[in-house]
Amino acid sequence: MALWPHLYLCIFILILWILERLFPKAMNKAEENLLVLVIFSIMAVSFGQVIARYGFNTGWDAALEFNTIAFSWLILLGMSYGIKTNLHLGVDIVLNAVPKGIAKTLSLIGAAGAMLYGLILLDSTWLALLGIDVNGGAIAYWSKMFKIGIGTEELRYPIFMQDMFDLRPRVQRWLVLVILPISLALLTYRSLQAFIDIARGKRARLISGHEAEDLVKENQNVLKD
Amino acid sequence: MHSIILFSMVLTLLFIGLPVGITLGLSSILFITFFSHDSLSSVAISLFGVGNHYTLLAIPFFIIASSYMSTGGVAKRLINFAIASVGHFRGGLAMASVLACMMFAALSGSSPATVVAIGTIAIAGMTQVGYSKEFAAGIIANAGTLGILIPPSIVMVVYAASVDVSVGRMFLAGVIPGLMAGGMLMLAIYVVARIKKLPAEEWKGFGNLVRGGKEAGWGLFLIVIIMGGIYGGVFTPTEAAVVAAVYSMFIALFVYRDMGPLQGQTWVNEDDAPHARVGFNGLVYGVSFFLIWEIMTFFIWAESETMTGGDRATWGAILSIALSIFYVYKRSSKLEESILTCLMAGFPIWGRNLSLMTRKFFPTMFGNESRKVMLEGTKTTIMLMFIIANALLFAHTLSAERIPQAITEWMLDAGFNWFTFLIAVNVLLLIGGQFMEPSGLLVIVAPVVFPIAMQLGVDPIHLGIIMVVNMEIGMITPPIGLNLFVTSGITGMSLARVVKAAMPFVAVLMVFLILVTYIPALSTALPYSIMGPEIIQ
Repeated sequence: MALWPHLYLCIFILILWILERLFPKAMNKAEENLLVLVIFSIMAVSFGQVIARYGFNTGWDAALEFNTIAFSWLILLGMSYGIKTNLHLGVDIVLNAVPKGIAKTLSLIGAAGAMLYGLILLDSTWLALLGIDVNGGAIAYWSKMFKIGIGTEELRYPIFMQDMFDLRPRVQRWLVLVILPISLALLTYRSLQAFIDIARGKRARLISGHEAEDLVKENQNVLKD
Repeated sequence: MHSIILFSMVLTLLFIGLPVGITLGLSSILFITFFSHDSLSSVAISLFGVGNHYTLLAIPFFIIASSYMSTGGVAKRLINFAIASVGHFRGGLAMASVLACMMFAALSGSSPATVVAIGTIAIAGMTQVGYSKEFAAGIIANAGTLGILIPPSIVMVVYAASVDVSVGRMFLAGVIPGLMAGGMLMLAIYVVARIKKLPAEEWKGFGNLVRGGKEAGWGLFLIVIIMGGIYGGVFTPTEAAVVAAVYSMFIALFVYRDMGPLQGQTWVNEDDAPHARVGFNGLVYGVSFFLIWEIMTFFIWAESETMTGGDRATWGAILSIALSIFYVYKRSSKLEESILTCLMAGFPIWGRNLSLMTRKFFPTMFGNESRKVMLEGTKTTIMLMFIIANALLFAHTLSAERIPQAITEWMLDAGFNWFTFLIAVNVLLLIGGQFMEPSGLLVIVAPVVFPIAMQLGVDPIHLGIIMVVNMEIGMITPPIGLNLFVTSGITGMSLARVVKAAMPFVAVLMVFLILVTYIPALSTALPYSIMGPEIIQ
């Protein structure tokens, strides 16, 4: 299997690392804006579709496919953002009960687990090299799609782009799927960051104990006597 | 044997503090790696394919709708309306809090949001007039759980998507149990109030009730849009959710103006002439009526051949003009101005507001505060969907190993009937609900117990409602109950004190759970009479 996708992913992560070093705040904001933009575009397309269909009896054929793909993008982009911002839920009953040193070790195992999740799904070849009977992964699947170059079902390029760049009408499937290896690489990278931060004592843990932690923090003790 | 390895791996990873999503996903991946010959490519692509569950796409929009609705102003209006309706009974303020929680639950699918939004205002109000803080906190913690039972409910969408039943029927099925649970809590409060001689508010008359209703009306109309849209057969649940999100965004930003650049800008200024105000109000009634008329008639006659869009608009226009004129006629008699002058004077106020809204449209829509609400909604969506995505992966691994079938066979052999089976489900969920987030637990448990339930002749919709009620109780039972944490957080009471305060009302919900479990008609009567029975292939 070709190794260039791996190389590109590494370069991508490296560039991201440098950019985040240089402009931490702007990059953070850009990431959040990207997520909001994705969800907003789903909302706009769906709402537009409702209006177009019931009001004017017309519609965009690819709306459904666009929405489901954008939804996948949102979830995939979100998973690494979640690791970065302590968003993901976990059970913290043991972490709260054990002494600090053990809790730290457990959190490190947690971060390593998240990294393992990303690495195996990205490409399981390294497991196969260890002698385990397994194959495939996100990169393998993506490479296959890239080689075949088949299109998505409904999603088409706008006409002017077809003319200008002499493109085939349907958007290639690999272009839609490219988020899969990228987001898994991001997840691995964020977990690695979390691992280092926890090891250095900059960050306590990977998870939040319940979904309303932020909400409670904002309203902490507002009704205390 | 394999299944034991899988389950113990999940439990170990879960308790050492891996995120729930990673736990489920990693266990499935490792299991596939070591015990099966599937390619991991298919696992990766199924992670991408989560977005293809069109039903689940409703979740982000219900979350966004509730994020906009959770902004302070709406909760305050609902509480005022609730106090105006039931405040004059003994223990009225407490009953009003429950009622406000029920209404808020109908706008938002989230329990902790309900507790924070209603709790911060209602608990303070109750302690002021002489309720004990324990009593107030206990009520809010319990009533807050209604968020997932009263439609629209995210947990119900998840159930419907994971076992493939209709979301619409699930929502309808939640109506009677939701009203009943709220009613039982209020009844319990009334009994306690009689014994403890708790204070009652004074009855301020129907005028107050109507005023409260009008204030809260814009928010409550959201329920009509969602339910009417789905049952009128007009919208799919996902479309209803999108419309709900856009509607709440519009109401919060432009009508209630609780946030964003328009915050604090009132519709009518102090210096507007009295007759202009009357005219403006009359026009507002007219326009509101027209919009509501258009939406309602659309739900009813959308498919009709005889009633066209033009007909509906004409009738709506005639009726709303009549309404405006009637209102102004009633009010203008005191002002000694003609109806026409009043109405004409109302137009400049309209013009001022519309131009304000147009000028501030983009800053309001994409401004910092709106972006913040969207981001909050996005975060919640991501958190839930990551768990659901991996839980689907896990459920897929389970069924590939035929584990649900094995459990079904074992349970049938062990002589379970529907009665004992439902007890087992209740116990399983009550324990599981202690440790897992409701939607994630549901995605895992539902595919396992669903086939057994079908074998034993349990109704699919009824099973869903039982599961949701279990999740509710899981939120207010120690050691890990989400609403307990939230209540303890905002009141500054210790967890133990909150638990003790909530206990009497948890007993009420337990009785409710038994009723819901063994009287299927409570859940199934309404959806089946309106939409026909759910058929499972």
